[in-house]
Amino acid sequence: MKGKGKIKTGAMGMIACLTLSTLTGCSMQPVVDEEGEATITIWHDKEDAVTQVLEDALSELEPEIHVVLEKKSDLTETLKMVGNDPKAAPDMYLFAHDKIGVYAEMGILAPVTDILPAQELDAYMDNTIEAASYKGTVYQLPIYYETLLFMYNRRYMSDEKVPTTTEELYAYMQEKTKGGHYGFVEQHSTPYYAAGWINGFGGYLLDDQGVPGLNLPETEKALAYHKKFVDLMPGETEYATVNTLFKEGMAHATIAGPWLIPTVRESGMDVGIAPMPVIDETGTPISPYMGVQGIQVLKNAAERKPEAVEKVLRVLMKDEVGIELAMASGCAPAKESCYEQESVTDDEVVMAMKETAENAVPMPNLPEMDVMWTVTGTLLTDVNMSGKDITESADKAEAEAFRLIENMK
Amino acid sequence: MDKYLKKIGIFLTVLLMLTGLCSMAVMAAPDTDRNAFYVQIPSDWKNPCVWAWDSDGNNAFEAWPGEEMEADPENEGWYYIWLPSFANHVIVSANDGNVQTEEQILDTNAAWMTIKAADEVEVTYEKQTTGEAPAYTEKFTIHAKVDDGWKAPCLWAWSAPDGTNAFEAWPGKAMKKGEDGWYTAKAPVFVNSVIINGNEGSVQTEDISIDPAEIWITVEADGAYDFSYADPDKAAIPDITVHVATPSDWESPCLWAWSAPDGTNVFASWPGEALEEGENGWLQKTVPGWINSVIVNGNEGSVQTTDISVESGKDIWLVVNGAEDYSLSYEEPELTAETETPEADTDEGKATEAVKTDTTENTEQTEKKSSPAGPIAAVVIVVAAGAGIGIAAKKKKAGN
Repeated sequence: MKGKGKIKTGAMGMIACLTLSTLTGCSMQPVVDEEGEATITIWHDKEDAVTQVLEDALSELEPEIHVVLEKKSDLTETLKMVGNDPKAAPDMYLFAHDKIGVYAEMGILAPVTDILPAQELDAYMDNTIEAASYKGTVYQLPIYYETLLFMYNRRYMSDEKVPTTTEELYAYMQEKTKGGHYGFVEQHSTPYYAAGWINGFGGYLLDDQGVPGLNLPETEKALAYHKKFVDLMPGETEYATVNTLFKEGMAHATIAGPWLIPTVRESGMDVGIAPMPVIDETGTPISPYMGVQGIQVLKNAAERKPEAVEKVLRVLMKDEVGIELAMASGCAPAKESCYEQESVTDDEVVMAMKETAENAVPMPNLPEMDVMWTVTGTLLTDVNMSGKDITESADKAEAEAFRLIENMK
Repeated sequence: MDKYLKKIGIFLTVLLMLTGLCSMAVMAAPDTDRNAFYVQIPSDWKNPCVWAWDSDGNNAFEAWPGEEMEADPENEGWYYIWLPSFANHVIVSANDGNVQTEEQILDTNAAWMTIKAADEVEVTYEKQTTGEAPAYTEKFTIHAKVDDGWKAPCLWAWSAPDGTNAFEAWPGKAMKKGEDGWYTAKAPVFVNSVIINGNEGSVQTEDISIDPAEIWITVEADGAYDFSYADPDKAAIPDITVHVATPSDWESPCLWAWSAPDGTNVFASWPGEALEEGENGWLQKTVPGWINSVIVNGNEGSVQTTDISVESGKDIWLVVNGAEDYSLSYEEPELTAETETPEADTDEGKATEAVKTDTTENTEQTEKKSSPAGPIAAVVIVVAAGAGIGIAAKKKKAGN
């Protein structure tokens, strides 16, 4: 009943809006055209391999529903500006879950459970639904997820020599870092990468209440422990530099995203993927963030085109879509049932992500996280690059985080 | 503060190394399809090497004279090499490049070539040897600079801890001295330990644990050593910018650059990379500072300058008026209306007034120093024009 009421309200609003549009000459897209066909626009920032799979799957809705996948380079900022404007906003967007909190607070997102029965989401991995939820409401239909992976060049590091603990990794780095080659490299002073070490110590950047944890004892211990590894890596932590070091054979191992694998394989490298080393001091593996990629529905679209929106979501819920994405682009499906398929379980990258995901931490999706990337980045630079005192730097960063979060309010 | 400076130092070193790496020509990947190519050589030809490429100018190897062939233990007098299957243009050379065949264009490089003399070559695609060629093993290069007291240095290499040796007997593989003073030898990629020795093995380093990647090892008289995975001679030179003004009818001008005499190319394939819009009317391209030779070309490589020798490590301003008419400067000259790129009309062949190079002398000088890059570039152009291979062969000989 509640849903129907919403639809009615939406329909009324839409009629009013359409009337207004006609009067003012604005060009808001009609819900359906003269032939009863609807267009659904989905913004995304994905590579062609992913969108091709989605386009192929969604083509089954033609001609009744025409789905347009539109790549936007500045998707998140544009949505902030036009998310409430049905003339300019898309109907849905495909993106990582970490911006859900911002848009939910802005009131531009529709809960997925307004469109689909909640029990149908039971088919998804728990941590993907956890990531897709903000303040107890599911705002994203998960499609696939990503974690960082421990990868190594088999020319230098045999499968038997892969470090299973961080102390083994440190000993390996000490032995192999010489002459311009590195035993291990990572973007050590980039928060997304350093978070794996911090999480593994029980620290965090931001808790689920939006409180920063940069000067927690666990976070400071992680920074101190991580520093000895940083000292055996190049000072530069920029994405291209670290990836090039690995790709060009100047580093034996790295922690990087799955997106690096096709590139290094193309270069002829026999790349191995292994579980994250266990941190000796805590007994927990390095625990990177997990990013869940999925579909968010804008409130305007849910109200104006509920049937078309539901049909699109139902296509994207099919196992075949998850399986095709795994095969096309190494995406780890969010639906449990996809892992019953051999084509998925045979994929080394996908299965490595599934294993890593067991200890991975869903990236916080609270609006406060927006300020934490910059503040944490400064803290990491102070500790890793400038050699500043950890406690003083962490206290300063924590205070700055609180100040910026307060400003957001 | 010291630590911070150290980090900056490391950062700059890494940047230099990466810049060098990124700008080096990309050769055939290890998993490329390969064919065994066999050659039988005259009795007075020693240590045959193969230089190979395809009609698009993609080289199989980084530098002339290419890769040394291996004697086939099952077939006396025959040498073999595993070539990337795309490389069907070959030149076989021997005696440190002092003798060579003309360019041979093969249907496939799964071929048997009998060389009776430099200009008498027979190729067949019917098997001329017995058994199969030893399996392909990827190799990497080890460079060593040894004390003058160490004569005829050799490389001994093995895999630890299993102890598999790369070479049959001590003192191992004789290292070949290059014009840059470094001795060089190759070892299979299973190797992770080496010893450099000299004087028939009577002097040596201790065991050196290495990665199977191109490496430069410096050895002192007492056997003490240091090593780097980046060429110490090249890593020390910062990138340079080549500024160019070309004739207005040269469409999409590109730069081809290399280091002579070792022939290390900056770009993977001819005609190189497009020059970009720079300031003050110049086109420009940033390249590694170790290059000492360039060619500017246009119209997809169908027009080009001759080989132009330049000083390593210095920015260059090059006004090109025609294939053999250019002026080179190491300080920015003012572009005249006649030379300005791309609108300028350079038909009258006027060069910048700031610095004028004696083109004739420069051309002669560079012809003498010609590396494979020049001939290969020429070969591509000639092939494209369907005009045969004579120019390539002629230039190659000039280079020797």
